[in-house]
Amino acid sequence: MTALSRDDLPPPGGGPGTTTRPVPPGGLAGSARTEPVDWVVALSTPGPEQQHALRLLHQLMVRAAAHQVWRLRHALPDDSPAAVEVVVQQAADEAMTALLGKLHSFEGRSRFTTWAFKFAILQASSDVRRLQWRRREVELRDLDLGTIAASDHDDAEHSAEAADLASALARAMSTALTPYQRRIAVALLVDEVPIDVLAERLGTNRGALYKTLHEARRRLRAELTERGYLSPTGGAR
Amino acid sequence: MTTPRPRSPLPPRAVDALLVDTTPWLSCDECFERMDVHVEAVLADPHHHDAAMEHHLLGCAACADEARSLLDLLRSGTA
Repeated sequence: MTALSRDDLPPPGGGPGTTTRPVPPGGLAGSARTEPVDWVVALSTPGPEQQHALRLLHQLMVRAAAHQVWRLRHALPDDSPAAVEVVVQQAADEAMTALLGKLHSFEGRSRFTTWAFKFAILQASSDVRRLQWRRREVELRDLDLGTIAASDHDDAEHSAEAADLASALARAMSTALTPYQRRIAVALLVDEVPIDVLAERLGTNRGALYKTLHEARRRLRAELTERGYLSPTGGAR
Repeated sequence: MTTPRPRSPLPPRAVDALLVDTTPWLSCDECFERMDVHVEAVLADPHHHDAAMEHHLLGCAACADEARSLLDLLRSGTA
């Protein structure tokens, strides 16, 4: 199926036979008239019903994208309503394209609307984070014990035990991780670079970075358990 | 004169994040695939348990935020 852009959809004001009232996130106003009985069939079968379903789907995408962008708007370089609206519309369009490309994979294990929302939320999140970091450099640096210690050692709330664990963890990062694992862990969890932003900068993907992080965590936990800082069942001693 | 406390070489938040147990393994793609079903299950039963999803969401800030957002969105529509 070819994904449609917003320009291909019926006008927001509503053409003949369309309904434009707001769509609540939990469903489509409970109206049998507006919500297709079978979204996949409606979206896949050329004709007036497909156009109607596409318009309703776009409303869902806009609603979910708006929900997420407004949640994260403090991260936007420009969080004015007009700028937010641009991000919402772009995310909704891209999410709709992504969803239509995966329409065949909908198995009906959740409501279609819930399934659809997650595409818009993912796209909106990614777009906001990308805008947030657009002008920021991402440094893939190694662990710098001196710098981190100087900025944190006066923390009155930090107990000696916690500091001891942190020191042991830093040593474990130096000995148990590869330089690449360490740099990814530092970028994601110390410098808090969003995972999709880091993936984009490194020319990789979110899944690959998460896998690296998962393996790094597994090694660190094993090392600290062996040294007696973590109990074999999981928690800090 | 007080005894100097040991230096903490990593911020507390980073220590917690580095030590999250993310087993059983679940990828971000698998998390995305399961997110809609998981969130509906949590809405229907707050005690719903899915270890792989829960551990992934503890270890992946991006997926966790998206799941939380989806949950909020569904709640706002059913309230």
